[in-house]
Amino acid sequence: MQSFKIEVRDEQLERLKQKLALAILPDELEDAGWTYGVPLAEVRRLLARWQDGYDWRTHEAILNADLPQFQTEIAVDGFESLKIHFVHKQSEVTGAIPLLFVHGWPGGFFEARKLLPLLTQATPDQPSFHIVAYSLPGYGFSEAPKKKGFTLSQYAEVGHKLMLALGYNEYVVQGGDWGGRITQHIASLYGGKHCKARHTNWPDVDSVPPTLSKSPLKYLRYSVTPYTAAEKAGLERTAWFRKEGMGYNNEHSTQPQTIGYSLADSPVGLLAWIYEKLVNWTDAYKWDDDEVLTWVSIYWFSTAGPAASVRIYYEHTHNKGTVKLPTVPNGVSYFPKELIIPPRSWTNSPYTVFQSQHDSGGHFAAHEKPEELVSDLRKMFGKGGPAFGVVKDSPGY
Amino acid sequence: MASLSLPSTGAEPFTIAVLDDELAALQRKLALTTLPDELDDAGWAYGVPLADVARLLARWKAGFDWRAQEAALNADLPQFRLTVEVDGHGALGVHCVHQRSAVEGAVPLLFVHGWPGGFWEVRKILPLLTQAPEGQPSFHVVTFSLPGYGFSEAPKKKGFGISQYAEVGHKLMQAFGYEEYVTQGGDWGAAITSRIASLYGGMYSKAWHTNWQDAIQPTPFNAPLRYVRHALTPYTPAEKAGLARTAWLRAEGRGYFFEQSTQPQTLGYALADSPVGLLAWVYEKLVNWTDAYPWTDDEVLTWVSLYCFSTAGPAASLRIYYEFAHETGAPPRATIPLGVSYFPKELVVLPRSWLRSPHIVFESEHDSGGHFPSHEKPEELVTDLRKMFGKGGPAYGVVTGRKGY
Repeated sequence: MQSFKIEVRDEQLERLKQKLALAILPDELEDAGWTYGVPLAEVRRLLARWQDGYDWRTHEAILNADLPQFQTEIAVDGFESLKIHFVHKQSEVTGAIPLLFVHGWPGGFFEARKLLPLLTQATPDQPSFHIVAYSLPGYGFSEAPKKKGFTLSQYAEVGHKLMLALGYNEYVVQGGDWGGRITQHIASLYGGKHCKARHTNWPDVDSVPPTLSKSPLKYLRYSVTPYTAAEKAGLERTAWFRKEGMGYNNEHSTQPQTIGYSLADSPVGLLAWIYEKLVNWTDAYKWDDDEVLTWVSIYWFSTAGPAASVRIYYEHTHNKGTVKLPTVPNGVSYFPKELIIPPRSWTNSPYTVFQSQHDSGGHFAAHEKPEELVSDLRKMFGKGGPAFGVVKDSPGY
Repeated sequence: MASLSLPSTGAEPFTIAVLDDELAALQRKLALTTLPDELDDAGWAYGVPLADVARLLARWKAGFDWRAQEAALNADLPQFRLTVEVDGHGALGVHCVHQRSAVEGAVPLLFVHGWPGGFWEVRKILPLLTQAPEGQPSFHVVTFSLPGYGFSEAPKKKGFGISQYAEVGHKLMQAFGYEEYVTQGGDWGAAITSRIASLYGGMYSKAWHTNWQDAIQPTPFNAPLRYVRHALTPYTPAEKAGLARTAWLRAEGRGYFFEQSTQPQTLGYALADSPVGLLAWVYEKLVNWTDAYPWTDDEVLTWVSLYCFSTAGPAASLRIYYEFAHETGAPPRATIPLGVSYFPKELVVLPRSWLRSPHIVFESEHDSGGHFPSHEKPEELVTDLRKMFGKGGPAYGVVTGRKGY
């Protein structure tokens, strides 16, 4: 285990500059707005800032200052050992709850940034946490697997082994997007003995639409009781996402290498591919251009390159299997601009002990609504909460 | 025969002449190419293999001679440019190929391409169609670069859909003096020629031929008799293979379609900015959609370069997917005679009895060939057109005064 600082090489910065200088932008239909994809004016503005004004070194230094980072080698059964990059911040409170934060795509370790000070702080009335946030293999500054078949179970194995390597024999997990599914796997594979509870802001993980044959009472109840306004809005949002917003998902899941050539070779192409999600998936979050460029730059400068990050979709699609339903306490936070928002009663986990509904916020809850997410975790794990004391020696106080 | 007032200004001869600056800009980009890594033993499972892209990139940088390809295209394809007024969209500069047969009474045929194809798909069939041997019908051939493709302008406004592309094709035929004509098309060309048939069929478009299937599985509700027959008759080996191919492409080969139908602009940034990205995006289809066609590297690079150097840029070519996916309502189905050629490696290969049109007058089944038959199997495609339109054929003499001889 060694401490790690992000240190992009000068040649990488130079190469990016050269590519940006040669960028060719497409045309756009009149009054296209966001209908056909990211508007040209947005990309133009971000490109101009990226070329002149945006200073990677400044943001690199801030990331290194805010996020204590490390790297360690983790062996993965059936695969090679991987150098895993992670953030690790301990609370002053020795009995703080060890929490593993798991990101997704196009997210990263940096999504934990705003949570860190809030979760680790020592307040007498609230539980404190030790935070670990790793770059998934193929993301950030972690290595990528070289062999085919690296599925969610392997991503879960890496997270679990990391916690053990850090001395956290018992821990809890939090995740959205792929992190939601990976934390479900962690809880399923290592639940009880090691993973003591899980929380997600990706409610689709444990949701199953009621059918007449499988859950007749739920099905019938919904036939007579109308959905609430929030549930209706959630179903509409879900329908929009499925109809207009899943092209990237389908391509990643079937031909990740083909799209990978574009993402690896064109910074502007990568910018558009990611920025579309940063905007469409959030709830009117006021992105700062430098914030966007930092996010995209981390993908551009990632150890494995951006093409590696989309293979998770392919592997999961082609190796779904069935994950045993975890039996540890489960918490779910619903944000109205998440992508797939099932009605709350569709959860099929009898171990859900905590649910919360927010009236704003989207897919990147930790980044958009850190205080709300932290508040949910404190309610779930704090004194009097439904998951208080799950980690025996570390109740959070 | 009443002649229509020509909806366009005169056609001007056109030659492809990519600027030296553009060639140099492409080379500068290629020199800075960053390639991704690849999983061990990935093969084609995850997309285009790295070795293929690396090899094509190396050739593109050194060895591939665009000027030679450009000259050959200009020599083989007599090209023109003319302005076409499209209702609600204004005037568009349309690039086209027009080759008349020496046979005055040849059948006027409009060939319509799709994505990632282009006007050049007519290259191999042109001499065969226009100079038929004794006893076979000849054709006057017109093809055009769809707006947003090749050397045609792209539409500027939203909503340029299949009916608009059909309007361009139809008006083009009128401009060349072919009041009545027949059509051939695959991929988007099938959707567009189908629309031509329903909008202009009968009076103008007299018959249409496609290599695309327009079929749905019979159910007890939509086609009860066919359904019963299908439940009783086992599939032939060819039908089984076709269904398997269709299922495989639906499961593994629809990502491009989904993205282009929903967020074409987002994808467009990558394709406009990365020649290697564009190469992979197109090459994957050239291989997956054809039947072991022995692509040469220069053939592939010419194809991709035509997208690179297109007037509107490669991003514009994607919008047809979006417009089609968001189209509301549909015109009446075509009722003019239809011919269908089946190639085993087309993208959708369904049992022949599933075909919907009751106006099919000609069918032909091939045991090889895929999605680009005019390029892969030019002789077979031309043979089918000759059988359909020639003396004794089911669509012989559909065009008044132009029976092909």
